[in-house]
Amino acid sequence: MKQIVKRLLETIVVLLGVILLIFIMLRVVPGDPVTTLLGEHVNQQTIDRLTKTMHLDRPILEQFFLYVGGLLRGDMGQSYKYNRPVTQMIMDAFPYTLALAIMASIFAWALGLILGIFAAVKQNRLPDHLFMGISLFGVSMPVFMAALFLQYLFAFKWKVLPLKADGSFLSMILPAIALGWNSAGSVARITRSSLLEAMQADYIDTAKAKGLLGRAVILRHALKNSMLPVITMMALQLSSMLSGAVISETVFAIPGIGRLATSAIENRDMPVLQGTVIFTTVIVIAGNFIADILYSVLDPRIRKAA
Amino acid sequence: MVSAFDKGVVFQLGNGAFSGFRRGQKGVNIMKRAWSAVLSVSLAATVLAGCGSTGSGATAADSAAKSSPESAGAAGTAAAASSTASGTASADDAGTLHIAWTADSQTLDVQTTSADYGIPMNVYDRLFEIKLNDDGSTQLVNSLVKDYTVSDDGLTYQFTLRDDVKFSDGTPLTANDVAFSLIRLLGLDTSVNTDFASCIKGAEDYIAREGYSYDDTLEGIQVVDDTHLTITLAYPFAGFLYELATPPCSIYSKAAVEAAGDDYGNDYKSAIGSGPYMLTGWTRDSSIELTQNPNYWGDTPSVRNVDIQIVPDASTISMMFQNGQLDILDCDILDSSVVESTYKTQYADKIVTANRLATTYFILNEDNEYLKDVKVRKAVQMAIDRQSILDTVYSGDGNLCDGIYPKGLIGYSEDNQGWLKYDPDGAKKLLEEAGYQDGDISFEIATDSSDSANTSLVVQMIQANLQAIGINTEIKSYDEASWLALRKSGEMTSFVGTWTADFNDPDNFIYTFFGTADKTKLRSINYKDEDVMKRIQNARAITDDDKRIAEYDALEKKIIEDDAAWVPLFGRTHLFVTGDRVRKYVPHWAGYGDFFVNEVELAD
Repeated sequence: MKQIVKRLLETIVVLLGVILLIFIMLRVVPGDPVTTLLGEHVNQQTIDRLTKTMHLDRPILEQFFLYVGGLLRGDMGQSYKYNRPVTQMIMDAFPYTLALAIMASIFAWALGLILGIFAAVKQNRLPDHLFMGISLFGVSMPVFMAALFLQYLFAFKWKVLPLKADGSFLSMILPAIALGWNSAGSVARITRSSLLEAMQADYIDTAKAKGLLGRAVILRHALKNSMLPVITMMALQLSSMLSGAVISETVFAIPGIGRLATSAIENRDMPVLQGTVIFTTVIVIAGNFIADILYSVLDPRIRKAA
Repeated sequence: MVSAFDKGVVFQLGNGAFSGFRRGQKGVNIMKRAWSAVLSVSLAATVLAGCGSTGSGATAADSAAKSSPESAGAAGTAAAASSTASGTASADDAGTLHIAWTADSQTLDVQTTSADYGIPMNVYDRLFEIKLNDDGSTQLVNSLVKDYTVSDDGLTYQFTLRDDVKFSDGTPLTANDVAFSLIRLLGLDTSVNTDFASCIKGAEDYIAREGYSYDDTLEGIQVVDDTHLTITLAYPFAGFLYELATPPCSIYSKAAVEAAGDDYGNDYKSAIGSGPYMLTGWTRDSSIELTQNPNYWGDTPSVRNVDIQIVPDASTISMMFQNGQLDILDCDILDSSVVESTYKTQYADKIVTANRLATTYFILNEDNEYLKDVKVRKAVQMAIDRQSILDTVYSGDGNLCDGIYPKGLIGYSEDNQGWLKYDPDGAKKLLEEAGYQDGDISFEIATDSSDSANTSLVVQMIQANLQAIGINTEIKSYDEASWLALRKSGEMTSFVGTWTADFNDPDNFIYTFFGTADKTKLRSINYKDEDVMKRIQNARAITDDDKRIAEYDALEKKIIEDDAAWVPLFGRTHLFVTGDRVRKYVPHWAGYGDFFVNEVELAD
């Protein structure tokens, strides 16, 4: 418990640091957002007027406190470009990213675990080489390539799945596979190595000596003990997927967090960029935090050490 | 704090990748490596084979899509599981136009955007419209205005509005709505289009004022009664009526804007207009839905609904079109090589070519130590092989411009042809006359990092052309904000840009680039000829159109031929591909990608 509270406090400090850093970074980049926002069809009076409205004529420190104050109330400011509350824009985009991340993770975990376990059990035999070859392929395949390839084959050529996401389950299958492909590869490899390591432990020999069947030994004893690094990795994968999958979201036209962030960069829409970065930072930190907790829940040694 | 666990993962990853090899014996080890490699290579080969067959695959898919609508429906069936517009059953699909955009509208409030005209053009009406004739010429036609008179001094406009116009919510459109819309265009803090009405009396002072209220009034706009309105200008300006025909001068419902408050433009339900369509759905970054306005005063259009899909990836849009899921494809979003290889061959009879009222130009800073010499600027004009740039980068889709005004613009004439001739030897001689040897001159060409790949290619070819006559240039890329800031400061050395007409009048080009000190800094970088500025400003007030155009032509000659203050490059055509369901497609008069949907006719 003490450990958890300590971690929580650390997390808050990191978060504040991140906010400050982002705030400063986005303000040292050259160029005036008002100019970008208004374009060429206005005169200087219009520009001066908007600069005042947006508080950009105030000192930077004052701007920072105004921002953090708003943040505490859940107000991330107003988008320059869209003139909408940033919080609302993120909340609109997040469900899409969440759905995509969950589907991609389920795909990645299921495939990764199955391949990994099989490969470990059939170590050094054909299935091992085959599955590890596949996973190497998965790990090295860039998402954009997987996305274009799947889209071309399944949606354009064979027309079995939609070309773009339209909110339906079917239309999310291809983007989820494209996004999860990479993770499946790493889950498979880490499961295999971790399981192999566990199977060389003395207690496995003991279990075998007691006459337990091979399957029971693997599932009940070896697998349980080897899952620690796998689960950590899964939690981290999920949180990174939740912070937006720019390529999958772009190719399959999913209006998620990743696209929100990239368009904010293109538009120089600082409040939106700031909001999405802070939001995803929170998610990644929370993911790590949960992974830590899971770690100590799963492994009594860590719990006791704390 | 996270690091301990991160390291754990990294360690495990490394372990995972190599543990299999580490434990085996050496000989087996190598075999295993080889086997894994073979597997990966074979899988990769499958992928590459899949990609390699793109060309033929596309053809097969095309013919399937063309011969039987059912085959295209396969993807449609999958989509039909969802409740969104793209999945509508084919019976309801009759009368629905499907198009795709690469980016969503930022706002429906056209006063606060200079890019998102597509929806406002179709949802709102304006006092006047510009129509494209079959011969390619354009004309100003009355829209909400039934009749109008102009005073002899060109200052006072008396408008009589149609009395049968209702907004889509059923309320009548009156002169009060017109006055409200124009005043809001000038007064709103976030208005980006104040230029379009700044010639109205009192506008300049009003724009400078802070704060905006719905009940603001303006000296130059007087409402007489529900259908009569008088607008007084600060100075006579012949292009005023054309300005009123631009999308930013759309007429809003005062009641609807007030009711929506700050949310106007974001909430599609409050974007009430009197145009042929109304908004019936908007899922951000995903889709927009338009439906016929039951209260529309004009002819009932052929297209009943419009389904706009937001798809950021151009190749996805291209595949959707080929699968029969889209009715109109804007070739601007595609690579010109794709247009050339796929659409100009397989869809040759389906291509609609629009003339773009736009000039692509190369502009030089007259304050630069070399470029201040007219002979050097003249040499630059002669050094650039514009035809080969147009052919290489844009597959020759367009025509060379020797003047400021693009083909199709009022005031354009062929008389200027020959002002610019590609003549590298002559250019070299001019440089020698000016006292420069090979390599003496060097300057920077600035590019905007958000420029298209094609624009970058144009700049590179210009660089090569200038290199050939002994002028060294350095291409430097700026992000959009720095780019604009540098231009505003008047310190940019040279850049390539394109100007598309907001309204069909030479004033929109010549005043915008050369009319005032501010504008010359930003757009023609320091062509500070006071006399030219004065003539341009005075020309706005010439009420005799023939005389006004003659003056514009004379100014064009002075700027381009005599002073070489601008290097006009070319005008480009805008290609669209239409699907089998489209019987008639009329592009926008200025060649925008956005168009008036009520002019489209569907076959079913």
